Amino acid sequence: MLKVKNIEAYFGKIQVLRHVSLHVETKEIVSLIGANGAGKTTLLNVISGLHPSRNGSRVFVDVETRGLRPEKIVALGLVQVPETDKVFTPLTVRENLELGAYLRRKDAAALREEMKRVFGLFPILEERQSQAAGMLSGGERQMLALGKALMSDPKMLMLDEPSLGLAPTIVSEMFRVVQSLNRQGKTILLVEQNARETLRISHRGYVLDMGRIVLSGTGEELLNNEEVKRAFLGRDYRQKWER
Amino acid sequence: MPILNPSIETMNRKELLELQLERLQIVVNQAYSNVDFYRKRFDEARLSPDEIKTLDDLRRIPFTTRKDLLDNYPYGMFAVPLRDVVRLQFPLGMYGNPIVIGYTREDLKMWNELVARVMVGIGINEHDIIQVAFNYGLFIGAVRFNQSAELIGAAVVPTSIASGEVQVKIMQDFRSTVLTSAPSFAIHIMETMQKKGMDPKTLSLKIGLFGAESWPEEVRQALENYFNIQAYEIFGVTELIEPGVAGECMAKNGLHVFEDHFLPEIIDPTSGEVLGEGGEGELVLTTLTNRAYPLLRYRTSDVTSLTSEPCPCGRTLARMSKVLKRTDQMVCVRGINVFPEKVEEVLLSFEGVGPGYSLVTQGKRGMNNHLTLRVEASPGILQGREEEKTSLRQKIQLAFRRAAGIGVEIEFVKEP
Repeated sequence: MLKVKNIEAYFGKIQVLRHVSLHVETKEIVSLIGANGAGKTTLLNVISGLHPSRNGSRVFVDVETRGLRPEKIVALGLVQVPETDKVFTPLTVRENLELGAYLRRKDAAALREEMKRVFGLFPILEERQSQAAGMLSGGERQMLALGKALMSDPKMLMLDEPSLGLAPTIVSEMFRVVQSLNRQGKTILLVEQNARETLRISHRGYVLDMGRIVLSGTGEELLNNEEVKRAFLGRDYRQKWER
Repeated sequence: MPILNPSIETMNRKELLELQLERLQIVVNQAYSNVDFYRKRFDEARLSPDEIKTLDDLRRIPFTTRKDLLDNYPYGMFAVPLRDVVRLQFPLGMYGNPIVIGYTREDLKMWNELVARVMVGIGINEHDIIQVAFNYGLFIGAVRFNQSAELIGAAVVPTSIASGEVQVKIMQDFRSTVLTSAPSFAIHIMETMQKKGMDPKTLSLKIGLFGAESWPEEVRQALENYFNIQAYEIFGVTELIEPGVAGECMAKNGLHVFEDHFLPEIIDPTSGEVLGEGGEGELVLTTLTNRAYPLLRYRTSDVTSLTSEPCPCGRTLARMSKVLKRTDQMVCVRGINVFPEKVEEVLLSFEGVGPGYSLVTQGKRGMNNHLTLRVEASPGILQGREEEKTSLRQKIQLAFRRAAGIGVEIEFVKEP
């Protein structure tokens, strides 16, 4: 569904992504893990058209999206849920959701249908639909952000740290939701710090380090990979020849 | 025709090439940051891993040779800390420095799958009884047949180096359906039966899976006709994985290279230039997924050619032709490889012999079963007493057996 090849991105003169190539197949959950500053968010921003890349190609459903404006990319069905500022706090829950369907605003019937589906997925949002989004808890805000993204009925979702700042019980709920969205047919690219939970629900994953992809494999392979364990799953290590 | 992993083995070639590029970039990143040898190589070539943007950029990476592996003994080529390694293997030779190859748990899992791909592709399934008549001591890949057979649920009978007669008895009594061995050993079993006047119809064999040495088509014909089996080849490279780099399918028109894990190139062995589709030259392999022991553009010394024409079996993986030649002086005797550097090492430790030598092989049907080392000797030795010559001969034979794993005839000559 998504094919990214040789992406390079800079912040000023500092190169943050180096020839990054990866692909996401239809109906896959693919995760991207890496330390802070590895370039994960930048990569999502490049794919969304929010951050320029110097080279490389990114093909979404056979369309080269390089040079396309972000809203065009959204219209193709590729939606990013950002890490922060993901909802409009002064607006109500319902208004937030309506904004998520901005590109389809003329199709009132479809909009109602979509909202019904989102409320089905997150009943709490229906209860709170007329409250300001700023009044929601962290977990509820995350649900709203996801719901907002779903309002445009995207083919693929890119989630940036959906578990960030959530209480542990909400975190596992979050991962359950991501998994069920995938079972309903959504393709998902998931960026996470919480490597263990993420890899557990991922079909495949990539490890990004200093702007380069240094490892790839199935979720299970990466979970069992010693380097991943050391770097992200909190295992200690000492080399065999160390005395 | 049965295929173990259709999503990979029959993958559209364009997608396969994209997958290869993705994996190539990863292995280059790993090799550069984790293996000093590669970092130095890249820096000397003024090449940054970031410059590998297409599969063609592979050509800019310098070759890795057998000598590099020897020079970096023991752990210089490892890309992971030893703690991640679950198997350390050294192919032959307790003499001087061997080559040590490490595998992580994932590497072994991949390897198991690749041998199982070949098995499934030639019709082996959970109902089969596989008799493995490889030398488990000298051919370290032998154990892989056990693991992969278990993966697909087939039963394994590791008969190893039991004599021809014992092999036949077990084949008869256990009703083995698959024989896997060096082809020369299969011929030996055949001849044992012929000598004893045994009837091949008393066997239940259906399939032969042969490898570890090169064998001409006539040998396939002879084995298929006598045992009434289908005979296939499995290919490997000791320094990567052996067996399991490539294997024949039922179409028997070349060995499918497992290109999702190994990137093959064919080069002119003298100029190093990459040859196009169909050109005959030296096989160069780049590992795409090996975690512990990544090799970039490793020169295998095996001579072959590649084609990516569609195969009737449905696999899209490129096929290599049977390897019948080498670019180096290595000789293969009864499935055991004898490298020139081992011979030189042995000779160096004896006064008055070498450095000149030649290896003379004898055999049948294009396969060797006897090796003679004709070695240059000083006049002192040549004119010496017979007992002294015999004693020296025995010493060299012993050293040679330690170094190369096989017995050898020694002749002292003035000029080899």
